[in-house]
Amino acid sequence: MIGKKTRITATDLILLAGVGVAVVWLLYQATVQAQYRWNWQAIPQYLLRLDEKSGQWVPGVILQGVIVTLRLSFWATLIALFIGTIMGLFRTSCSRYRRMIGTGYVEIIRNIPILVWIFLFYYFIGDRLLPAIGIGRATFTGDSPLSGLLRLFVAEPSQVSIFISGTVALAVYEGAYITEIIRAGIQSIDKGQWEASSGLGFTRTQQLRYIIFPQALRRIMPPLAGQFISTIKDSAIVSVISIQELTFQGMELMAATFLTFEVWITVLAIYFAICLVCSLLVERFELHLKKEVLT
Amino acid sequence: MRIVTRMTRFLFLAVLVFTLAGIPGAMATDSQDSVVEQVIQRGVLRVGMSTFVPWAMKDKTGKLIGFEIDVATRLAEDMGVKVEFVPTKWSGIIPALLTGKFDVIIGGMGILPSRNLKVNFTDPYDFTGMSIVASKKMAAGMTGIEAFNKPGVIIAARLGSTAVTATKKYLPNAEIRMFDDEAQAYQEVVNGRVHAVVGSAPTPAFQAIKYPGKLFLPIGGTFTREPIGFAVRKGDVDTLNYFNNWIGYVAAEGWLMERKTYWFETKDWEPQIQ
Repeated sequence: MIGKKTRITATDLILLAGVGVAVVWLLYQATVQAQYRWNWQAIPQYLLRLDEKSGQWVPGVILQGVIVTLRLSFWATLIALFIGTIMGLFRTSCSRYRRMIGTGYVEIIRNIPILVWIFLFYYFIGDRLLPAIGIGRATFTGDSPLSGLLRLFVAEPSQVSIFISGTVALAVYEGAYITEIIRAGIQSIDKGQWEASSGLGFTRTQQLRYIIFPQALRRIMPPLAGQFISTIKDSAIVSVISIQELTFQGMELMAATFLTFEVWITVLAIYFAICLVCSLLVERFELHLKKEVLT
Repeated sequence: MRIVTRMTRFLFLAVLVFTLAGIPGAMATDSQDSVVEQVIQRGVLRVGMSTFVPWAMKDKTGKLIGFEIDVATRLAEDMGVKVEFVPTKWSGIIPALLTGKFDVIIGGMGILPSRNLKVNFTDPYDFTGMSIVASKKMAAGMTGIEAFNKPGVIIAARLGSTAVTATKKYLPNAEIRMFDDEAQAYQEVVNGRVHAVVGSAPTPAFQAIKYPGKLFLPIGGTFTREPIGFAVRKGDVDTLNYFNNWIGYVAAEGWLMERKTYWFETKDWEPQIQ
Protein backbone atom coordinates (compact mmCIF):
# COMPACT_ATOMS: atom_id res chain seq x y z
CA MET A 1 0.00 0.00 0.00
CA ILE A 2 2.69 2.45 0.99
CA GLY A 3 4.03 4.46 -1.91
CA LYS A 4 1.54 3.05 -4.38
CA LYS A 5 -0.11 5.75 -6.47
CA THR A 6 -3.90 5.79 -6.49
CA ARG A 7 -5.58 6.10 -9.85
CA ILE A 8 -9.13 7.25 -10.49
CA THR A 9 -10.95 4.43 -12.25
CA ALA A 10 -14.28 4.30 -14.05
CA THR A 11 -15.90 2.69 -11.00
CA ASP A 12 -14.90 5.67 -8.88
CA LEU A 13 -16.43 8.08 -11.37
CA ILE A 14 -19.69 6.11 -11.51
CA LEU A 15 -19.87 6.03 -7.72
CA LEU A 16 -19.16 9.75 -7.51
CA ALA A 17 -21.85 10.50 -10.08
CA GLY A 18 -24.30 8.32 -8.14
CA VAL A 19 -23.63 10.16 -4.89
CA GLY A 20 -23.91 13.49 -6.73
CA VAL A 21 -27.31 12.58 -8.18
CA ALA A 22 -28.54 11.46 -4.73
CA VAL A 23 -27.47 14.77 -3.16
CA VAL A 24 -29.11 16.84 -5.91
CA TRP A 25 -32.30 14.79 -5.64
CA LEU A 26 -32.40 15.32 -1.86
CA LEU A 27 -31.88 19.07 -2.30
CA TYR A 28 -34.64 19.10 -4.92
CA GLN A 29 -36.95 17.27 -2.53
CA ALA A 30 -36.15 19.72 0.24
CA THR A 31 -36.70 22.86 -1.81
CA VAL A 32 -39.30 22.09 -4.46
CA GLN A 33 -41.30 19.17 -3.11
CA ALA A 34 -41.52 20.43 0.47
CA GLN A 35 -42.22 23.92 -0.89
CA TYR A 36 -40.18 25.41 1.88
CA ARG A 37 -39.65 29.13 1.72
CA TRP A 38 -35.92 29.53 2.28
CA ASN A 39 -34.70 32.65 4.00
CA TRP A 40 -30.94 32.43 4.32
CA GLN A 41 -30.51 36.22 4.54
CA ALA A 42 -31.84 36.11 8.10
CA ILE A 43 -29.09 33.79 9.35
CA PRO A 44 -25.87 35.94 9.34
CA GLN A 45 -27.26 38.38 11.92
CA TYR A 46 -27.60 35.52 14.42
CA LEU A 47 -23.92 34.69 13.96
CA LEU A 48 -22.36 38.13 14.12
CA ARG A 49 -24.00 41.51 14.29
CA LEU A 50 -23.01 45.15 14.51
CA ASP A 51 -24.03 46.60 17.83
CA GLU A 52 -25.63 49.93 17.07
CA LYS A 53 -24.86 51.52 20.41
CA SER A 54 -21.15 50.72 20.64
CA GLY A 55 -20.48 50.32 16.91
CA GLN A 56 -18.65 47.06 17.53
CA TRP A 57 -19.15 43.57 16.13
CA VAL A 58 -20.63 41.28 18.77
CA PRO A 59 -21.49 37.57 18.65
CA GLY A 60 -25.11 36.81 17.81
CA VAL A 61 -27.27 34.16 19.47
CA ILE A 62 -25.76 31.21 17.58
CA LEU A 63 -22.17 32.27 18.14
CA GLN A 64 -22.88 32.76 21.85
CA GLY A 65 -24.06 29.16 21.82
CA VAL A 66 -20.83 28.07 20.14
CA ILE A 67 -18.83 29.74 22.91
CA VAL A 68 -20.83 27.91 25.58
CA THR A 69 -20.41 24.61 23.71
CA LEU A 70 -16.64 25.10 23.59
CA ARG A 71 -16.39 25.98 27.30
CA LEU A 72 -18.60 23.05 28.19
CA SER A 73 -16.61 20.58 26.08
CA PHE A 74 -13.31 21.88 27.40
CA TRP A 75 -14.19 21.52 31.08
CA ALA A 76 -16.04 18.25 30.61
CA THR A 77 -13.05 16.77 28.76
CA LEU A 78 -10.64 17.94 31.45
CA ILE A 79 -12.70 16.51 34.31
CA ALA A 80 -13.42 13.33 32.36
CA LEU A 81 -9.70 12.85 31.73
CA PHE A 82 -9.02 13.23 35.46
CA ILE A 83 -11.77 10.78 36.46
CA GLY A 84 -10.86 8.40 33.63
CA THR A 85 -7.17 8.29 34.56
CA ILE A 86 -7.86 7.54 38.21
CA MET A 87 -10.52 4.97 37.44
CA GLY A 88 -8.37 3.44 34.66
CA LEU A 89 -5.58 2.92 37.19
CA PHE A 90 -8.11 1.49 39.65
CA ARG A 91 -9.29 -0.96 37.00
CA THR A 92 -5.74 -2.28 36.54
CA SER A 93 -4.84 -2.10 40.23
CA CYS A 94 -3.64 -5.09 42.27
CA SER A 95 -6.18 -4.27 44.98
CA ARG A 96 -9.41 -6.14 44.47
CA TYR A 97 -11.30 -3.37 46.26
CA ARG A 98 -10.12 -0.67 43.83
CA ARG A 99 -10.84 -2.87 40.87
CA MET A 100 -14.38 -3.24 42.18
CA ILE A 101 -14.86 0.53 42.43
CA GLY A 102 -13.50 1.00 38.92
CA THR A 103 -15.62 -1.77 37.46
CA GLY A 104 -18.71 -0.61 39.35
CA TYR A 105 -18.33 2.93 38.01
CA VAL A 106 -17.82 1.83 34.41
CA GLU A 107 -20.65 -0.68 34.44
CA ILE A 108 -23.16 1.69 36.04
CA ILE A 109 -22.43 4.57 33.67
CA ARG A 110 -22.14 2.51 30.51
CA ASN A 111 -25.45 0.79 31.12
CA ILE A 112 -27.65 3.85 31.62
CA PRO A 113 -28.84 6.19 28.86
CA ILE A 114 -27.00 9.52 28.87
CA LEU A 115 -30.26 11.49 28.52
CA VAL A 116 -31.79 10.01 31.67
CA TRP A 117 -28.51 10.40 33.55
CA ILE A 118 -28.31 14.10 32.67
CA PHE A 119 -31.89 14.75 33.80
CA LEU A 120 -31.46 12.95 37.13
CA PHE A 121 -28.13 14.63 37.80
CA TYR A 122 -29.60 18.06 37.05
CA TYR A 123 -32.68 17.69 39.24
CA PHE A 124 -31.14 16.01 42.27
CA ILE A 125 -27.37 16.42 42.45
CA GLY A 126 -26.54 19.54 40.42
CA ASP A 127 -27.63 22.11 43.00
CA ARG A 128 -25.61 20.47 45.79
CA LEU A 129 -22.30 20.69 43.95
CA LEU A 130 -21.48 24.40 44.15
CA PRO A 131 -22.23 24.92 47.86
CA ALA A 132 -20.33 21.70 48.58
CA ILE A 133 -17.09 23.05 47.13
CA GLY A 134 -17.70 26.42 48.80
CA ILE A 135 -18.44 28.53 45.75
CA GLY A 136 -21.37 30.90 46.04
CA ARG A 137 -23.07 33.12 43.55
CA ALA A 138 -21.02 36.04 44.84
CA THR A 139 -17.80 34.48 43.54
CA PHE A 140 -19.13 35.02 40.05
CA THR A 141 -20.86 38.37 40.43
CA GLY A 142 -18.02 40.21 42.18
CA ASP A 143 -15.65 42.75 40.62
CA SER A 144 -12.39 40.94 41.42
CA PRO A 145 -10.19 39.66 38.57
CA LEU A 146 -11.05 36.10 39.64
CA SER A 147 -14.76 36.72 39.08
CA GLY A 148 -13.99 38.21 35.69
CA LEU A 149 -11.96 35.15 34.71
CA LEU A 150 -14.67 32.80 35.96
CA ARG A 151 -17.27 34.68 33.93
CA LEU A 152 -15.04 34.53 30.85
CA PHE A 153 -14.03 30.88 31.08
CA VAL A 154 -16.90 29.23 32.95
CA ALA A 155 -20.31 30.87 32.70
CA GLU A 156 -22.45 33.91 33.42
CA PRO A 157 -23.64 34.11 37.06
CA SER A 158 -27.21 33.20 36.12
CA GLN A 159 -26.03 30.08 34.30
CA VAL A 160 -23.35 28.88 36.69
CA SER A 161 -25.27 26.29 38.68
CA ILE A 162 -26.81 24.68 35.63
CA PHE A 163 -23.53 24.88 33.68
CA ILE A 164 -21.64 23.08 36.44
CA SER A 165 -24.24 20.34 36.74
CA GLY A 166 -24.27 19.83 32.97
CA THR A 167 -20.48 19.79 32.75
CA VAL A 168 -20.03 17.37 35.63
CA ALA A 169 -22.80 15.06 34.42
CA LEU A 170 -21.21 14.96 30.97
CA ALA A 171 -17.72 14.50 32.44
CA VAL A 172 -18.80 11.59 34.65
CA TYR A 173 -20.41 9.98 31.63
CA GLU A 174 -17.46 10.44 29.27
CA GLY A 175 -15.09 9.47 32.09
CA ALA A 176 -16.37 5.89 31.98
CA TYR A 177 -15.31 5.56 28.34
CA ILE A 178 -11.94 7.16 29.02
CA THR A 179 -11.49 4.70 31.91
CA GLU A 180 -11.85 1.84 29.48
CA ILE A 181 -9.46 3.42 26.97
CA ILE A 182 -6.81 3.83 29.66
CA ARG A 183 -7.36 0.36 31.06
CA ALA A 184 -7.05 -1.18 27.60
CA GLY A 185 -3.88 0.84 26.95
CA ILE A 186 -2.21 -0.33 30.17
CA GLN A 187 -3.28 -3.94 29.72
CA SER A 188 -2.06 -3.99 26.13
CA ILE A 189 1.54 -3.63 27.30
CA ASP A 190 3.35 -6.97 27.31
CA LYS A 191 3.56 -8.76 30.65
CA GLY A 192 7.29 -9.10 30.17
CA GLN A 193 7.68 -5.34 30.63
CA TRP A 194 6.16 -5.58 34.11
CA GLU A 195 8.28 -8.58 34.99
CA ALA A 196 11.50 -7.07 33.66
CA SER A 197 10.99 -3.79 35.47
CA SER A 198 10.06 -5.66 38.63
CA GLY A 199 13.26 -7.68 38.23
CA LEU A 200 15.22 -4.41 38.07
CA GLY A 201 13.85 -3.47 41.47
CA PHE A 202 11.25 -0.84 40.50
CA THR A 203 8.30 -0.44 42.85
CA ARG A 204 4.83 -0.73 41.28
CA THR A 205 4.39 3.04 41.06
CA GLN A 206 7.78 3.39 39.40
CA GLN A 207 7.00 0.58 36.97
CA LEU A 208 3.82 2.35 35.93
CA ARG A 209 5.42 5.75 35.72
CA TYR A 210 8.67 5.00 33.91
CA ILE A 211 8.04 1.80 31.96
CA ILE A 212 4.39 1.02 31.34
CA PHE A 213 2.66 4.37 31.01
CA PRO A 214 5.01 5.95 28.44
CA GLN A 215 4.47 2.93 26.18
CA ALA A 216 0.73 2.78 26.84
CA LEU A 217 0.33 6.49 26.10
CA ARG A 218 1.10 5.96 22.42
CA ARG A 219 -1.68 3.39 22.15
CA ILE A 220 -4.08 5.44 24.29
CA MET A 221 -3.74 8.68 22.33
CA PRO A 222 -5.76 7.86 19.16
CA PRO A 223 -8.90 6.49 20.86
CA LEU A 224 -8.62 9.17 23.55
CA ALA A 225 -8.61 11.91 20.93
CA GLY A 226 -11.64 10.28 19.33
CA GLN A 227 -13.39 10.40 22.71
CA PHE A 228 -12.59 14.12 23.08
CA ILE A 229 -14.24 14.85 19.75
CA SER A 230 -17.14 12.66 20.78
CA THR A 231 -17.54 14.83 23.91
CA ILE A 232 -18.07 17.92 21.73
CA LYS A 233 -20.85 16.15 19.86
CA ASP A 234 -22.36 14.64 23.01
CA SER A 235 -22.47 18.10 24.60
CA ALA A 236 -25.52 18.79 22.40
CA ILE A 237 -27.53 16.56 24.71
CA VAL A 238 -27.27 18.92 27.70
CA SER A 239 -29.60 21.25 25.80
CA VAL A 240 -32.39 19.23 27.47
CA ILE A 241 -31.56 20.84 30.82
CA SER A 242 -31.58 24.25 29.15
CA ILE A 243 -27.87 25.03 29.11
CA GLN A 244 -27.65 27.73 26.48
CA GLU A 245 -25.22 25.92 24.20
CA LEU A 246 -25.35 25.66 20.42
CA THR A 247 -28.22 23.18 20.09
CA PHE A 248 -30.37 24.93 22.69
CA GLN A 249 -29.81 28.36 21.12
CA GLY A 250 -30.64 26.88 17.73
CA MET A 251 -33.89 25.39 19.00
CA GLU A 252 -34.89 28.60 20.76
CA LEU A 253 -34.17 30.52 17.58
CA MET A 254 -36.33 28.12 15.57
CA ALA A 255 -39.17 28.50 18.05
CA ALA A 256 -38.99 32.27 17.68
CA THR A 257 -38.36 32.63 13.95
CA PHE A 258 -39.75 29.39 12.44
CA LEU A 259 -36.62 29.18 10.24
CA THR A 260 -36.41 25.44 10.98
CA PHE A 261 -34.16 24.18 8.19
CA GLU A 262 -31.86 27.17 7.92
CA VAL A 263 -31.06 27.06 11.62
CA TRP A 264 -30.59 23.27 11.79
CA ILE A 265 -28.29 23.33 8.77
CA THR A 266 -26.24 26.19 10.25
CA VAL A 267 -25.94 24.37 13.59
CA LEU A 268 -24.91 21.18 11.79
CA ALA A 269 -22.26 23.01 9.77
CA ILE A 270 -20.81 24.58 12.93
CA TYR A 271 -20.55 21.24 14.77
CA PHE A 272 -18.99 19.72 11.68
CA ALA A 273 -16.44 22.53 11.39
CA ILE A 274 -15.42 22.31 15.06
CA CYS A 275 -15.09 18.52 15.01
CA LEU A 276 -13.27 18.49 11.66
CA VAL A 277 -10.67 20.99 12.91
CA CYS A 278 -10.16 18.84 16.03
CA SER A 279 -9.86 15.67 13.92
CA LEU A 280 -7.22 17.24 11.67
CA LEU A 281 -5.25 18.45 14.68
CA VAL A 282 -5.37 14.96 16.18
CA GLU A 283 -4.18 13.44 12.90
CA ARG A 284 -1.18 15.75 12.80
CA PHE A 285 -0.41 14.97 16.42
CA GLU A 286 -0.51 11.22 15.70
CA LEU A 287 1.86 11.64 12.78
CA HIS A 288 4.15 13.57 15.09
CA LEU A 289 4.04 10.73 17.65
CA LYS A 290 4.83 8.16 14.94
CA LYS A 291 7.83 10.15 13.75
CA GLU A 292 9.11 10.33 17.30
CA VAL A 293 9.04 6.55 17.55
CA LEU A 294 10.86 6.11 14.26
CA THR A 295 13.71 8.50 15.04
CA MET B 1 -0.92 1.19 51.50
CA ARG B 2 -3.44 0.15 54.13
CA ILE B 3 -4.16 3.79 55.03
CA VAL B 4 -4.64 4.75 51.38
CA THR B 5 -7.20 1.98 50.91
CA ARG B 6 -9.06 3.08 54.01
CA MET B 7 -9.02 6.66 52.73
CA THR B 8 -10.51 5.74 49.35
CA ARG B 9 -13.14 3.62 51.06
CA PHE B 10 -14.04 6.54 53.29
CA LEU B 11 -14.13 8.97 50.38
CA PHE B 12 -16.35 6.68 48.36
CA LEU B 13 -18.78 6.32 51.25
CA ALA B 14 -18.79 10.06 51.81
CA VAL B 15 -19.69 10.73 48.18
CA LEU B 16 -22.49 8.19 48.36
CA VAL B 17 -23.99 9.62 51.56
CA PHE B 18 -23.68 13.16 50.25
CA THR B 19 -25.44 12.26 47.03
CA LEU B 20 -28.31 10.48 48.73
CA ALA B 21 -28.70 13.31 51.22
CA GLY B 22 -29.04 15.70 48.31
CA ILE B 23 -32.13 14.02 46.91
CA PRO B 24 -34.71 15.00 49.54
CA GLY B 25 -32.89 18.30 49.99
CA ALA B 26 -33.30 19.20 46.35
CA MET B 27 -37.04 18.65 46.53
CA ALA B 28 -37.59 21.12 49.35
CA THR B 29 -37.04 24.85 49.37
CA ASP B 30 -33.85 25.89 51.05
CA SER B 31 -35.24 27.86 53.94
CA GLN B 32 -38.43 28.65 55.81
CA ASP B 33 -38.76 32.14 54.31
CA SER B 34 -41.38 32.68 51.62
CA VAL B 35 -40.21 33.01 48.03
CA VAL B 36 -40.95 36.75 48.07
CA GLU B 37 -38.69 37.17 51.14
CA GLN B 38 -35.91 35.16 49.50
CA VAL B 39 -36.20 37.21 46.31
CA ILE B 40 -35.93 40.50 48.23
CA GLN B 41 -32.88 39.23 50.14
CA ARG B 42 -31.21 37.93 46.98
CA GLY B 43 -32.12 41.02 44.96
CA VAL B 44 -32.96 38.86 41.96
CA LEU B 45 -36.26 37.36 40.79
CA ARG B 46 -35.60 34.19 38.80
CA VAL B 47 -38.33 33.55 36.25
CA GLY B 48 -38.76 30.27 34.40
CA MET B 49 -40.03 30.63 30.84
CA SER B 50 -39.96 28.98 27.46
CA THR B 51 -40.02 30.37 23.94
CA PHE B 52 -43.58 30.77 22.71
CA VAL B 53 -44.34 33.40 20.06
CA PRO B 54 -45.40 36.09 21.01
CA TRP B 55 -45.33 35.34 24.73
CA ALA B 56 -41.56 35.13 24.98
CA MET B 57 -38.89 34.97 22.32
CA LYS B 58 -35.40 36.21 21.54
CA ASP B 59 -34.92 39.21 19.30
CA LYS B 60 -32.07 39.68 16.84
CA THR B 61 -29.68 40.82 19.56
CA GLY B 62 -30.40 37.77 21.72
CA LYS B 63 -32.47 39.84 24.17
CA LEU B 64 -35.73 38.32 25.38
CA ILE B 65 -38.89 40.12 24.35
CA GLY B 66 -42.60 39.33 24.48
CA PHE B 67 -45.72 39.70 26.57
CA GLU B 68 -44.49 37.49 29.44
CA ILE B 69 -41.13 39.24 29.43
CA ASP B 70 -42.88 42.61 29.86
CA VAL B 71 -45.00 41.20 32.69
CA ALA B 72 -42.04 39.64 34.54
CA THR B 73 -39.84 42.72 34.05
CA ARG B 74 -42.54 45.02 35.45
CA LEU B 75 -43.14 42.62 38.36
CA ALA B 76 -39.45 42.65 39.31
CA GLU B 77 -39.33 46.43 38.92
CA ASP B 78 -42.28 46.83 41.30
CA MET B 79 -40.59 44.50 43.81
CA GLY B 80 -37.41 46.56 43.54
CA VAL B 81 -35.26 43.66 42.39
CA LYS B 82 -33.52 42.58 39.20
CA VAL B 83 -35.11 40.04 36.91
CA GLU B 84 -33.30 36.97 35.64
CA PHE B 85 -34.86 34.74 33.00
CA VAL B 86 -34.17 31.02 32.99
CA PRO B 87 -35.13 29.67 29.55
CA THR B 88 -36.29 26.09 30.12
CA LYS B 89 -37.70 23.36 27.90
CA TRP B 90 -41.47 23.38 28.26
CA SER B 91 -41.70 19.63 28.92
CA GLY B 92 -39.43 19.94 31.98
CA ILE B 93 -40.55 23.29 33.35
CA ILE B 94 -42.67 22.06 36.30
CA PRO B 95 -40.00 19.68 37.72
CA ALA B 96 -37.49 22.53 37.36
CA LEU B 97 -39.76 24.83 39.42
CA LEU B 98 -40.27 22.13 42.08
CA THR B 99 -36.51 21.55 42.43
CA GLY B 100 -35.93 25.28 42.87
CA LYS B 101 -34.19 26.20 39.61
CA PHE B 102 -36.25 29.42 39.64
CA ASP B 103 -38.86 31.17 41.78
CA VAL B 104 -41.89 31.39 39.51
CA ILE B 105 -43.07 30.30 36.08
CA ILE B 106 -44.30 33.25 34.03
CA GLY B 107 -44.64 31.52 30.71
CA GLY B 108 -48.21 31.65 29.50
CA MET B 109 -49.02 28.55 31.54
CA GLY B 110 -52.67 27.57 31.35
CA ILE B 111 -54.35 26.84 34.69
CA LEU B 112 -55.33 23.17 34.53
CA PRO B 113 -56.76 21.16 37.44
CA SER B 114 -54.17 18.43 36.84
CA ARG B 115 -51.29 20.92 36.87
CA ASN B 116 -52.75 22.61 39.91
CA LEU B 117 -52.22 19.42 41.92
CA LYS B 118 -48.47 19.86 41.44
CA VAL B 119 -48.10 23.65 41.71
CA ASN B 120 -50.06 26.66 42.97
CA PHE B 121 -51.42 29.16 40.47
CA THR B 122 -52.11 32.87 40.92
CA ASP B 123 -55.32 34.49 39.74
CA PRO B 124 -55.44 34.58 35.95
CA TYR B 125 -53.70 37.63 34.49
CA ASP B 126 -54.65 36.72 30.96
CA PHE B 127 -56.92 34.46 28.93
CA THR B 128 -55.94 32.58 25.85
CA GLY B 129 -57.61 30.06 23.61
CA MET B 130 -56.73 27.28 21.28
CA SER B 131 -56.94 27.89 17.62
CA ILE B 132 -56.43 25.54 14.69
CA VAL B 133 -54.68 25.95 11.35
CA ALA B 134 -54.98 23.30 8.65
CA SER B 135 -53.10 22.21 5.55
CA LYS B 136 -54.83 22.98 2.24
CA LYS B 137 -53.40 19.78 0.77
CA MET B 138 -54.33 17.35 3.56
CA ALA B 139 -57.52 18.90 4.91
CA ALA B 140 -59.12 20.37 1.78
CA GLY B 141 -62.77 21.24 2.37
CA MET B 142 -62.75 20.51 6.08
CA THR B 143 -64.42 23.36 7.97
CA GLY B 144 -65.50 23.62 11.57
CA ILE B 145 -63.84 21.87 14.46
CA GLU B 146 -65.99 18.71 14.21
CA ALA B 147 -64.62 17.92 10.73
CA PHE B 148 -61.27 17.13 12.36
CA ASN B 149 -62.73 14.79 14.97
CA LYS B 150 -62.38 11.69 12.80
CA PRO B 151 -60.15 8.63 12.87
CA GLY B 152 -57.24 9.03 10.46
CA VAL B 153 -56.94 12.78 11.00
CA ILE B 154 -53.49 13.72 12.33
CA ILE B 155 -53.07 16.79 14.55
CA ALA B 156 -49.66 18.19 15.54
CA ALA B 157 -49.18 19.98 18.88
CA ARG B 158 -46.45 20.97 21.32
CA LEU B 159 -45.52 18.32 23.89
CA GLY B 160 -46.85 19.06 27.37
CA SER B 161 -48.87 22.10 26.33
CA THR B 162 -52.56 22.73 26.84
CA ALA B 163 -52.91 22.29 23.08
CA VAL B 164 -52.55 18.56 23.69
CA THR B 165 -55.20 18.61 26.41
CA ALA B 166 -57.56 20.60 24.22
CA THR B 167 -57.03 18.27 21.27
CA LYS B 168 -57.70 15.18 23.39
CA LYS B 169 -60.88 16.76 24.72
CA TYR B 170 -62.35 18.28 21.57
CA LEU B 171 -60.90 15.93 18.95
CA PRO B 172 -60.78 12.56 20.77
CA ASN B 173 -60.89 10.54 17.54
CA ALA B 174 -57.96 12.29 15.88
CA GLU B 175 -54.39 11.09 16.21
CA ILE B 176 -52.00 13.51 17.97
CA ARG B 177 -48.36 13.89 16.97
CA MET B 178 -46.35 15.74 19.60
CA PHE B 179 -43.27 17.94 19.11
CA ASP B 180 -40.88 19.51 21.58
CA ASP B 181 -41.06 22.91 19.90
CA GLU B 182 -43.91 24.75 18.28
CA ALA B 183 -41.87 25.51 15.16
CA GLN B 184 -41.55 21.80 14.38
CA ALA B 185 -45.31 21.31 14.67
CA TYR B 186 -46.01 24.18 12.27
CA GLN B 187 -43.33 22.88 9.91
CA GLU B 188 -45.23 19.58 9.70
CA VAL B 189 -48.45 21.25 8.62
CA VAL B 190 -46.65 23.46 6.09
CA ASN B 191 -45.02 20.35 4.61
CA GLY B 192 -48.45 18.71 4.42
CA ARG B 193 -47.62 15.74 6.64
CA VAL B 194 -50.37 16.41 9.18
CA HIS B 195 -53.91 17.68 8.72
CA ALA B 196 -53.72 20.53 11.20
CA VAL B 197 -51.88 22.12 14.14
CA VAL B 198 -53.59 23.09 17.37
CA GLY B 199 -51.85 25.93 19.21
CA SER B 200 -52.43 28.99 21.38
CA ALA B 201 -53.86 31.97 19.55
CA PRO B 202 -52.66 34.03 17.75
CA THR B 203 -49.82 31.92 16.24
CA PRO B 204 -52.07 29.69 14.05
CA ALA B 205 -53.60 32.77 12.46
CA PHE B 206 -50.14 34.34 11.95
CA GLN B 207 -48.94 31.16 10.24
CA ALA B 208 -51.96 31.14 7.93
CA ILE B 209 -51.10 34.71 6.88
CA LYS B 210 -47.47 33.71 6.31
CA TYR B 211 -48.29 30.70 4.07
CA PRO B 212 -51.55 31.66 2.32
CA GLY B 213 -51.00 29.06 -0.43
CA LYS B 214 -50.61 26.15 1.95
CA LEU B 215 -52.57 26.86 5.13
CA PHE B 216 -56.08 27.96 5.99
CA LEU B 217 -58.13 28.55 9.15
CA PRO B 218 -60.98 26.03 9.47
CA ILE B 219 -62.62 28.07 12.27
CA GLY B 220 -62.60 31.77 13.06
CA GLY B 221 -61.16 32.68 16.47
CA THR B 222 -60.59 30.08 19.15
CA PHE B 223 -62.42 26.96 20.30
CA THR B 224 -61.35 27.02 23.97
CA ARG B 225 -60.87 29.68 26.59
CA GLU B 226 -58.10 29.13 29.14
CA PRO B 227 -57.06 31.15 32.15
CA ILE B 228 -53.30 31.89 32.38
CA GLY B 229 -51.52 32.32 35.71
CA PHE B 230 -48.10 32.42 37.37
CA ALA B 231 -47.08 29.05 38.79
CA VAL B 232 -45.29 28.87 42.16
CA ARG B 233 -44.29 26.05 44.50
CA LYS B 234 -47.09 24.79 46.72
CA GLY B 235 -48.02 26.13 50.14
CA ASP B 236 -46.49 29.61 49.91
CA VAL B 237 -49.33 31.93 50.97
CA ASP B 238 -47.19 35.06 51.20
CA THR B 239 -45.96 34.76 47.62
CA LEU B 240 -49.38 33.88 46.21
CA ASN B 241 -50.94 36.84 47.99
CA TYR B 242 -48.28 39.22 46.70
CA PHE B 243 -48.57 38.02 43.10
CA ASN B 244 -52.40 38.00 43.14
CA ASN B 245 -52.55 41.56 44.37
CA TRP B 246 -49.89 42.67 41.93
CA ILE B 247 -51.97 41.22 39.07
CA GLY B 248 -55.08 42.99 40.38
CA TYR B 249 -53.12 46.22 40.62
CA VAL B 250 -51.67 46.25 37.08
CA ALA B 251 -54.95 45.00 35.59
CA ALA B 252 -56.83 47.89 37.21
CA GLU B 253 -54.25 50.26 35.75
CA GLY B 254 -55.09 48.98 32.27
CA TRP B 255 -51.42 48.14 31.77
CA LEU B 256 -51.96 44.39 31.20
CA MET B 257 -54.56 45.04 28.51
CA GLU B 258 -52.34 47.58 26.78
CA ARG B 259 -49.38 45.16 26.66
CA LYS B 260 -51.60 42.31 25.51
CA THR B 261 -52.93 44.40 22.63
CA TYR B 262 -49.41 45.32 21.59
CA TRP B 263 -48.15 41.71 21.45
CA PHE B 264 -51.28 39.89 20.29
CA GLU B 265 -53.26 42.29 18.14
CA THR B 266 -50.44 44.10 16.34
CA LYS B 267 -47.32 42.91 14.57
CA ASP B 268 -45.29 46.05 15.32
CA TRP B 269 -42.72 43.87 17.05
CA GLU B 270 -42.06 41.63 14.04
CA PRO B 271 -39.00 43.60 12.71
CA GLN B 272 -37.26 42.93 16.04
CA ILE B 273 -37.21 39.18 15.33
CA GLN B 274 -35.97 38.85 11.77
